[in-house]
Amino acid sequence: MNDILLEIKGLHASVEGKEILRGIDLVIRRGEIHAVMGPNGAGKSTLSAVLAGKPGYEVTSGEIVFDGKDLLELSPEERSWAGIFLSFQYPIEIPGVTITNFMKAAVDAHRKAKGEEPLSAGGFLRLMKEKMALVQMKGEFAKRDVNAGFSGGEKKRCEIFQMAMLDPVLSILDETDSGLDVDALRIVSDGVNALHTPEKSAIVITHYKRLLDYIVPDVVHVLKAGKIVATGGRELVEIIENEGYDKF
Amino acid sequence: MRDMTSSEKVFVIGPDQISALPPERFSVGTGEELRVVLVVLPGVSPVIPMTFDLVGEGASVRVSALYLAAGSGKVRFDVLMHHRAPHTTSTQLFNGIAGGEASTVFSGRIIIDEGTFGIDAGQENHNILVSDRARAESDPQLEIYADDVKCSHGATVGRLDEQEQFYMRSRGIPEDEARFLQLLSFASPVLQSLPDHCREAVSSRVSSAIRSLLAQ
Ligand SMILES: Nc1ncnc2c1ncn2[C@@H]1O[C@H](COP(=O)(O)OP(=O)(O)OP(=O)(O)O)[C@@H](O)[C@H]1O
Ligand SMILES: [Mg+2]
Repeated sequence: MNDILLEIKGLHASVEGKEILRGIDLVIRRGEIHAVMGPNGAGKSTLSAVLAGKPGYEVTSGEIVFDGKDLLELSPEERSWAGIFLSFQYPIEIPGVTITNFMKAAVDAHRKAKGEEPLSAGGFLRLMKEKMALVQMKGEFAKRDVNAGFSGGEKKRCEIFQMAMLDPVLSILDETDSGLDVDALRIVSDGVNALHTPEKSAIVITHYKRLLDYIVPDVVHVLKAGKIVATGGRELVEIIENEGYDKF
Repeated sequence: MRDMTSSEKVFVIGPDQISALPPERFSVGTGEELRVVLVVLPGVSPVIPMTFDLVGEGASVRVSALYLAAGSGKVRFDVLMHHRAPHTTSTQLFNGIAGGEASTVFSGRIIIDEGTFGIDAGQENHNILVSDRARAESDPQLEIYADDVKCSHGATVGRLDEQEQFYMRSRGIPEDEARFLQLLSFASPVLQSLPDHCREAVSSRVSSAIRSLLAQ
């Protein structure tokens, strides 16, 4: 098995004709946690969207190889089946679709992609219960419509619950810490850490050192104006916290 | 306290059930409550005129309708909700889905007579187009000749939300399944208003109709 999980080479991407990513190179090995920090509007969420295959995000040059596959050839659902998960900075509300029905459709689609039968109703509910417990989500959420009327923190917990259900190989956490109170931050981080294994990797996008005290990165990148302008270890977090982004 | 007499009528109109068109006129008297649920399945092109006369004090009407049009189907509603007596209330929910080259028209008039009071009338007509060539028209007309009136209406014609679709797909739900879930949730308020004895049977016909509509 190749030790490299994700390789991004010379990635340029535009939204509505405007170039946002201007030459990104990034290598993530299996087991590694990479933090991406950078000022507002730098292109962090754009990078997440491109990795997840969001329509409207046009890759104008460069390539992305994920787990040996040409990622840019895959639809968003195929990327999910291949093991990519994006925790949205702004999770989408889907009134009229319950979390149970939503997750049942997602889990069954993942199983089908692997050639497995759908889970039994009982097996599925047990899995839901177990994963909801991981992020201390109350059982009553199972019956609620996806994210509809959830508080900011509840939405983020629900993202990590979904991550736990789908058991991805590469998790991209786009500001999962924003909107979380101190206790929720710890619960969510513990959840993420519990799901981490030596075969799995994560990209953690954040503005704050606090999250990276819980989810400890192996590598830290600074993304600014669509380019990675610095890469280093945890010491970079300290420098950013104290001095901001001007020096990069 | 006045006794309410309540009646409930369900009409499912599809290729194999064309006889089930509703009557053209409903008269609702003092203290009566009428609930009507209509479901139009693809494969028919009905013109459905319905007049509701709220003639007695305290009369109330609730209409919910779901209409699915596909292929070259045409569905037309001409609804008149006529408030002729005081303290009458009406709510209307018409949800339409059009695919293929289908076209739908909802024409909904509300008349509130002079000399009435304490009227509450609401009308909603929402449409989702699932193909580029499908059309939906919404034509609400309010004629209010009284003062003490609460009257609201809303009409929309739109497409399935792409943010929702991407969110679902990012969780591995295939695009068609995502669209199916969205349409089912759009249909759900009408299906929920079906009486218990037929909710499950009608809902399952609606879900297979939605699937075939998406496959077009
Ligand atoms: N759909 C869009 N249309 C036009 N511009 C867009 C669109 N999406 C993103 N942009 C622009 O791309 C730039 C990068 O946005 P992005 O959301 O990736 O930033 P970010 O690094 O995630 O910022 P933040 O820290 O505030 O979340 C911004 O200038 C933004 O306005
Ligand atoms: Mg962002």
